Amino acid sequence: MGRDMDDERLISKKEVLETMGISYGQLYRWKRKGLIPEAWFIRRSTFTGQETFFPRDKILERIARIVDMKDDHPLDDLAELITTRVNAKLRVALKKLERAGWLDDELLRSCSPEERSEEAISVWQAFVLGVLSRLRRVAREEEIGLVRRTLEAEVGKGLLDRVSENGLRLYLLRKRVASGGISAQISLVALANEGAIFDPEIEAVEHVELSSVLQRIKLDLMRSDEGEGESGSNDRSAEDGEGDGRQEAKDLEVER
Amino acid sequence: MNEQRRSVSISGSGRLGGGEYERVSISGSGRVDGDVIASELRISGSGKVAGRTEAGQIVVSGSGTFTDAVVAEEMRISGSGRVDGAVEAKELKCSGSFRAGGDVSGEYVKISGSMKVSGDVEVDIFKASGGFEIEGLLSADKVEIHLGGRCSAREIGGERIIVERGTSFGGALIEGLVKMLTGGGAAELRTAQIEGDEIRLENTIADIVRGKRVVIGPNCRIGRVEYEESLQVHEDAKVEAESKT
Repeated sequence: MGRDMDDERLISKKEVLETMGISYGQLYRWKRKGLIPEAWFIRRSTFTGQETFFPRDKILERIARIVDMKDDHPLDDLAELITTRVNAKLRVALKKLERAGWLDDELLRSCSPEERSEEAISVWQAFVLGVLSRLRRVAREEEIGLVRRTLEAEVGKGLLDRVSENGLRLYLLRKRVASGGISAQISLVALANEGAIFDPEIEAVEHVELSSVLQRIKLDLMRSDEGEGESGSNDRSAEDGEGDGRQEAKDLEVER
Repeated sequence: MNEQRRSVSISGSGRLGGGEYERVSISGSGRVDGDVIASELRISGSGKVAGRTEAGQIVVSGSGTFTDAVVAEEMRISGSGRVDGAVEAKELKCSGSFRAGGDVSGEYVKISGSMKVSGDVEVDIFKASGGFEIEGLLSADKVEIHLGGRCSAREIGGERIIVERGTSFGGALIEGLVKMLTGGGAAELRTAQIEGDEIRLENTIADIVRGKRVVIGPNCRIGRVEYEESLQVHEDAKVEAESKT
């Protein structure tokens, strides 16, 4: 893909400020608040000295989103919405997820019963459900269980924090083992970065981009948070186009 | 779950294991072995925490050493403070000397005296009078530096960046103390790059200054100034190249 290498896709700090009409102060502030990942600041020497560059598409999209939302959300909340950091106590109403179209009874059943009665689940649980819903079409029932157990074993080990910026994926794999006329297929689940290599006998059935699941949850939350009454013009920020979840703000409860 | 947390105090000399406390107070000489969580940690005399510290309030008068990261609402040091890890404090005030082996982050940092940070300093408001050495980036909405010794940072970025030579708060006493602590170097700021919206500099040596409104005051030596709205250069300053963008 990238024939022309990075240069064409990078943008200098100065150009970012000009294009987006923002100031140095804002840019540094957003960086401090974790709204712009450290890794996007690429330092290069140029003929005028050190200059900072950014991945063009990412930074412009991110800043557009920050500018778009900053009047309605305090900066620190924004950081929670836009970036890796997740408030573990943020709870998502189950019904809303259902309406946002990525939950169904079957999945709900695979989610523990106590949680159902609560009507609200944590971001972590929503995340697990989100991953499962993306695998639903291809995965067998026992594989869904395996994925769920894999993710749940990571609860509280900081997986959510690692998810966002570094392209972590969940792979669902199958391998056929044959010996002496008997063959069996085993299922495997792996969490690995993009480009992980498996042995040639392994079939990668499906992979899920974990950061996009997380982003999707936050976008759904955000939209329902803003969407009370008239429709905003914020559809464009939907990552995968099929976003239709604009509900009342009521059933979003944030516990502190 | 809601176990009552103990308060302990060491007077004279003593050691304490890590753990959760309500209040830890060390007067004399004391040492905490292990990670400590406390609402209040007071050291008068000399104290050391060999572990990570998480506290509501940390007050050090005398000398305090922390061998790992410190997370606090408020950290006040008069005398000397050394943190080998990162410091995350809503409010960090130090008169005397302060050293951090990692990044310093929070909302408000005020240093009168000397400061040495091996990482970045990223806060909302940064006020310093005296000298400092920041190996990484210094970033704040407001950066106010009253030069009282040698100051350096790899880069400085923010909204409003003001560097003055002077002793407007603290007076001669602080200046004397600072001279003593910093080895009495020339009162100047050295950095590769300063970027901000409003920039006012004195006694500053920088390769590049980029800003909206820029005032280059006396005794500055700047390689290149890029400004958006306005630029003033004092007659006792040297700017090698300037451009309006």
